[in-house]
Amino acid sequence: MRKLSVWLLLIVMIVGCKNQANNTSQPKKVAIIVSTLNNPWFVFLAQTAAAKAKELGYDSRIFDSQNNTALETDHFENAIATGYKAILFNPTDANGSIVNVNKAKAAGVPVFCMDREVNSTDGATSQILSDSYSGSADVGKYFVQTMHKTGKYVELLGLVSDNNTWNRSKGFHSVVDFYPALKMVAQQSAEFDQNKAMEVTESILQAHPDINGIFCGNDAMALGAYQALVAAGKAGKVKVFGFDGAADVVQSIRDGKITATGMQFPKIMAQTAAIYADEYFKGKRDFPRKIPVSVELVTAHNVNDYIAFGKK
Amino acid sequence: MNKTLKCILWMVVLVFIGYKSIYFKKLHSMKAVNTGNFNAAAYASNYLNITLPGLMGKAIPVDRLLADLQSAPQKTFDTYSNALDIGTIRFFWVKGRGRVVSVNEENVTLQTDSMHAIINIATEYVFGNAVRDATGLIHINDFGSTADLNNISAEINKLIRRQVLPPFKAKAKKGDEIEFSGAVELNSAHLDVAGSEFIPVSLKIMR
Repeated sequence: MRKLSVWLLLIVMIVGCKNQANNTSQPKKVAIIVSTLNNPWFVFLAQTAAAKAKELGYDSRIFDSQNNTALETDHFENAIATGYKAILFNPTDANGSIVNVNKAKAAGVPVFCMDREVNSTDGATSQILSDSYSGSADVGKYFVQTMHKTGKYVELLGLVSDNNTWNRSKGFHSVVDFYPALKMVAQQSAEFDQNKAMEVTESILQAHPDINGIFCGNDAMALGAYQALVAAGKAGKVKVFGFDGAADVVQSIRDGKITATGMQFPKIMAQTAAIYADEYFKGKRDFPRKIPVSVELVTAHNVNDYIAFGKK
Repeated sequence: MNKTLKCILWMVVLVFIGYKSIYFKKLHSMKAVNTGNFNAAAYASNYLNITLPGLMGKAIPVDRLLADLQSAPQKTFDTYSNALDIGTIRFFWVKGRGRVVSVNEENVTLQTDSMHAIINIATEYVFGNAVRDATGLIHINDFGSTADLNNISAEINKLIRRQVLPPFKAKAKKGDEIEFSGAVELNSAHLDVAGSEFIPVSLKIMR
């Protein structure tokens, strides 16, 4: 009986060791949670993060929050419960997403924010962010120069709960507001959405048919604004400025339809987030709480140096 | 419980949920988000008037910068430039002398002393992070919010436009010998010194 017990114990130990070996040989899982996949920019961000995670030896899955913090919360709970070891995160709401980041931290899952920030320096292990303020100041300077310091203009804002919206707006106004002959006749949110931007611009054009420029907080809105101008027969008479570096806008700058954009580098942000997660797994802990990524001005003069979402 | 009472109770619950789920804020109140107690104006004044004058010894002479950029651009970026951002846009903390070639609407063009290179000193578009970031003294992790960092740049640039430029613009003319210090933004991937503007921190007309 005693012999049998020893044999049973040995078998249990061997099986246990085998299972453990299997577990450690399984690649770690990395969750990629993004605000929306309804915008090619975020699709590129998510896919680049997934590709880099794979290259570094991790399994990953992309979760789409559809710009909904409640859905984002579900994704976090899912990711934590199903054993994801890190989250590469593009937040939906700078304040509303803090609770999700903190939940992951409490569960021992590091979060690396990409492009958009949360208004907390405690929860996320690191936040890799576009330098929207500086990029928009550059767009603002070019706006002033091409408008010859005078004229009426419109500003289309993104999501009002997102910090990038305000960093871009503030960066732009940090330059433009020094020129009193440049008058902003309307400032409205089109929620970073192309169709909404078209509708908003159409209604603004009815009230202000004499505008000379439109500054848009992202490229999707710039394309929507341009569509509205085409419909109103004003394309070419009103200068449109965007922000992102999307493929359609880079081509539109080449074609002389859109005047300029701020080129962000989603590839750098996504890859850095994946690399940081890898370094975290290997024991590193002293990450910068926030690290900005430069934004570059793209105009007709230098557009041939750029492609969608980056440099050639 | 009769049907009417049930219906009223459900309506009260729905109105309560609706009231708690939807709220409206004015755009200008959202603009005020993230402005904490950090005094960017005082910080910028101290940086510009006390810290930077003490750092003249660390500024790279403009002629050496131009020569090094020609001979070994990447090494020059690695050795002398600073930036808070990841990317190819970098900033240099510079000093030098030159003669005024022309006084334009947006800048003053100088011919540098020993290289006889032509550079532009910005007198109109003083914006961006060049002065804040060129010295490498300011670190991002010392600040809780990026808004604070952005406000430092805005205040520095405001002071330059108010303190440094008016006395210079009032007197500068072609042929003047100028001594200056300041910062310049260069992109290592698209190097264009001729198209760049030096943001001045100090400008002295030597005659």
